[in-house]
Amino acid sequence: MIQVTNITKTVTTDNGPLQILQPISFTVTEGQSVAIVGASGSGKSTLLGLLAGLDTVTEGTIKLDGASLETMNEEARAQIRGQKVGFIFQAFMLVPSLTALENVMLPAEINGSNNPKALAVDALEKVGLSHRASHYPNQLSGGEQQRVAIARAFITQPKILFADEPTGNLDADNSLKVEQLLFDLNQQAGTTLVLVTHDNELAQRCDRQLIMSAGQLSEASAQAATERAS
Amino acid sequence: MGFSLAWRLFKHEARRGELSIILSAIILSVAAVLSLSLFSERLQGALNERSAEFIAADRQLSSRKPIDLEWLKQAKSQNLDVAEQVSTRSMVFANDQLQLVDLRAVSQTYPLKGNIKLSAEPFAIGEAVAEVPSMHEAWLDSRLFQVLNLQIGDEVEIGDAVFTATRVLTEIPDAGFSVFNTDPMVLINMDALAKTNVTGPGSRVNYKAYFVGTDDALDTFYSSIKNEFQREYHRWLSVDDDESPIGESVARAEQFFLLASLLAIVLACVAIGVAAQRYAQRHFDPVAIMKTLGASTATIRKVYLYQIIFIALLGIVLGTVIGFAVQQVVVSALAGTVDVSLQVWYWRPLMIAIFTGSICALLFCLYPLLGLFAIPPLRVLRRDMASTLKSRGGQYLTSGLAIFGLMYAYSQNLKVSAIMFISGIVLVVLLLGATYGLIALGRVLGQGRMSAAQLAWARIKRRALDNSVQLISFALTLMLLLIVLVMRNDIVKQWQEQLPEGTANYFMINVTDAQKDKLAEHFANNLVISDDLYPVTRGRFAKINDVVLRSEVTKEDEDSTNERRAGMGREANLTWSTQLQQANEVVAGEWHDTWSYDNNELGEGIYPVSVEVEAAKRMRIGMGDVLSFNIGSEIVDVQVTSLRQVNWQTMQPNFFFVLHPDAMSRFTPTYITSFFLPEERKPELAQLLRPFPNVTLFDVDARINQIRSIIDQVSAAVEFILVLVLVAGALVLIAQVQASMDERQRELAILRTLGAQGGLIRRSVIYEFLIIGSVAGFMAAMANEISLYLLQSQVFKMSTSVHYEYWVVAPLTGAIVVGLLGAASCRALLQLNTSTLLRKVL
Repeated sequence: MIQVTNITKTVTTDNGPLQILQPISFTVTEGQSVAIVGASGSGKSTLLGLLAGLDTVTEGTIKLDGASLETMNEEARAQIRGQKVGFIFQAFMLVPSLTALENVMLPAEINGSNNPKALAVDALEKVGLSHRASHYPNQLSGGEQQRVAIARAFITQPKILFADEPTGNLDADNSLKVEQLLFDLNQQAGTTLVLVTHDNELAQRCDRQLIMSAGQLSEASAQAATERAS
Repeated sequence: MGFSLAWRLFKHEARRGELSIILSAIILSVAAVLSLSLFSERLQGALNERSAEFIAADRQLSSRKPIDLEWLKQAKSQNLDVAEQVSTRSMVFANDQLQLVDLRAVSQTYPLKGNIKLSAEPFAIGEAVAEVPSMHEAWLDSRLFQVLNLQIGDEVEIGDAVFTATRVLTEIPDAGFSVFNTDPMVLINMDALAKTNVTGPGSRVNYKAYFVGTDDALDTFYSSIKNEFQREYHRWLSVDDDESPIGESVARAEQFFLLASLLAIVLACVAIGVAAQRYAQRHFDPVAIMKTLGASTATIRKVYLYQIIFIALLGIVLGTVIGFAVQQVVVSALAGTVDVSLQVWYWRPLMIAIFTGSICALLFCLYPLLGLFAIPPLRVLRRDMASTLKSRGGQYLTSGLAIFGLMYAYSQNLKVSAIMFISGIVLVVLLLGATYGLIALGRVLGQGRMSAAQLAWARIKRRALDNSVQLISFALTLMLLLIVLVMRNDIVKQWQEQLPEGTANYFMINVTDAQKDKLAEHFANNLVISDDLYPVTRGRFAKINDVVLRSEVTKEDEDSTNERRAGMGREANLTWSTQLQQANEVVAGEWHDTWSYDNNELGEGIYPVSVEVEAAKRMRIGMGDVLSFNIGSEIVDVQVTSLRQVNWQTMQPNFFFVLHPDAMSRFTPTYITSFFLPEERKPELAQLLRPFPNVTLFDVDARINQIRSIIDQVSAAVEFILVLVLVAGALVLIAQVQASMDERQRELAILRTLGAQGGLIRRSVIYEFLIIGSVAGFMAAMANEISLYLLQSQVFKMSTSVHYEYWVVAPLTGAIVVGLLGAASCRALLQLNTSTLLRKVL
């Protein structure tokens, strides 16, 4: 589903070019869930941005469900995102001037789905927030906002879901709820999941863990993962 | 998808008050432009109506030949009201005495504008009547009753006809204002003119036709007949051609209104520019989200263009309603002072307001929107990522073009638009320089322990470039307000100086040499102060550069090309002096005060003359031309050695030709002078003049009062326009402060969370605004000086001066106003508890 080959990312700084990702290669198969873990500033979010086509690689290739992102322009990548990708962010990223229902409808509308409203009502139902449909984001708690974001991510039945620290802004209780919801829905839909997290417990629930360190990516062995978990 | 999403966003944002800033900027711009321009159109309409009284119509056709009856028929068929007047100089005979008069025969519909005023006895105050003399009546000027020793009801002979002097004529609307060539007036009925037989061959007759109608109808009529005009005979006059002080005042007031409206447009642009920037910034996240969710740039463009259209439409509708209401309130409030009709509706201001609203909204939102469209989707992960559209050049260019385009479209006056625009650019450059200076200064001052002042400096330093737009908008607003304020003060002051209290309201001519001293003494004894005495004699043009001008009065005379050249009649009033009169300025050659006959470079028997520049143009004479005047039976040759610009607005005797005294030493002149007599002493006039029966008196009191009342009205209107612009400016300042407080919220929240005392935060914000306000005020004073100099010298044709006081007033006012507004906004923020504040910004 995702095929990454020798990608690097270099940015220009005042002190000259800075390589923030060393050559990275890995593959994620359909339906697999992958956690990318690592310290702050290690390059996790940069990698996520590249995988989701939000940013472009300096070198290397990324294939997303067969489509080569590096050959596409911003418009084409947007189209791929609309059709195949769902997102969940640490800061929820809901549009403040739209209601919960309208926020959920947004990707379906952009996608040109037939009945965005019915789909959104259904999706909100699944995350248990149908009673909050007409509320604006600032009228919802953090946990509720993230549940709305999850409903929004699943409304277009994406093949791949990218999540950036989905529980990073939530308390333990809400984290647990959101986590459960995320994996349940993921399982039901058979979506490929790539998530970036600091949270080891969350990482442990994934099929694979990739460790990001100083721009380099390595596969965590099952044992290492168990050690970290303990 | 674009439309429905845009509509939903618009609905929600409007309901939640998130559009209030940009919406109120558009409402403000539309309302300000509409109320200002509608008010000024209405006022101009009212003033034009007043001015129209001075030509007794909207348009006047003056001719030296009888006016083609076909033209008059055509005018009537085109729904114009028409009146006629025939005037000539003729003799009136009564009580065995003859007197030359200005005979005017008028049609039944005369005057179309203004009134004929009559009184029951000579030199009394006249009252308006809505009639013209009947077939056997003649209405005579007060002076005739004096000179011919007449009583009401006496008979007078004019040519072959006899009339009864039934009333005293005090005023007709288009009497004109000339002390010379003015014989006492007699008004008779047009149908009675034929029986007098005074308009036969050899007489000089002037024919006038008056027209009133809509501007369009008048223009259509004019274009249909103008090709048949003969330049030497026909003259088409409109109120705009009025060169009197009133015409000038009205013209200057119109320019002021134009200027004020232009400034309102610029203010509106600044307000919308600031608001659009802020609007775009608030939508960075939603755009990044939509892009991440797969929305194409085209979709996003559609969504936001629709949004802007919705906002603009709502703003225009609300702005129109509010602008109309404000204007209505102003007109009602002014009803007692200015005669402005609320019934008349003008479409142009509405069109201009809508045009301004749409252009401002679209063009000023263009660049912020382009920036918004260029927001990278990666912002969803990297919150600090801003627009990839970097160049500010594009923004300045589109904003500049939009402002200039609007100014030009509105004023149709390239000069005014260019002056305002160039001063704006100078200001912007100065401010950019100043912000760089502030960065340097901030670096020095912003070191060390964190005090409120240092926090303020640190913020200014850090934001100096980003917020240069804000500083520029403060300074522009202050500059625009200064311009309107100073222009108003200068205009009103110069108007008042033009006709100060005690301006001469009576003129006397025909004072003989022998009477000079006696008259001065007599007036002094009666506590009346008279002006200087100017010698006058009448000279007939004999030759111009050896080309002989006909002087015999013949039938052919009317067709004489020489006569055409003279263009001023065959005679001129000549005065002589070596001292240049007040309000006269030599614009070519040299004034002849140092000339002496012993050192005569002009040639034997030739003396210097100074000619009024406009008269010289009309007569097609220039520097070095030799004119020969026939005075009595002698010829005086003079050469044009200087041309003078004369300010005809001063109520003092002025002359087309001023000769050197040596040229006139052979002649015995009469003198002209003027004096002021307060209204309550009017009854003393007859007694005052009794010892000098030969002296002719001109009463210009009515005329001066007319001018004063118009100037008062115009001044009142100018004051109101000033208030409107000040209110608009204040609102723009408030919007700007609030917009910039928005940017400070985050920082305030953090400082508050870290435990900073409210007092420290408040003081730091106040210091920051005080500094920004005073810098903006200082820059505004500088730019104000430049634009005022250009405006006053190039557009308003006023005397210019440096306004030192505003160099102090502007920075102080800027600091106080901006500081207070900042303090008020800051207070509102600090009243929120810290968690609400954090929730608001994070």
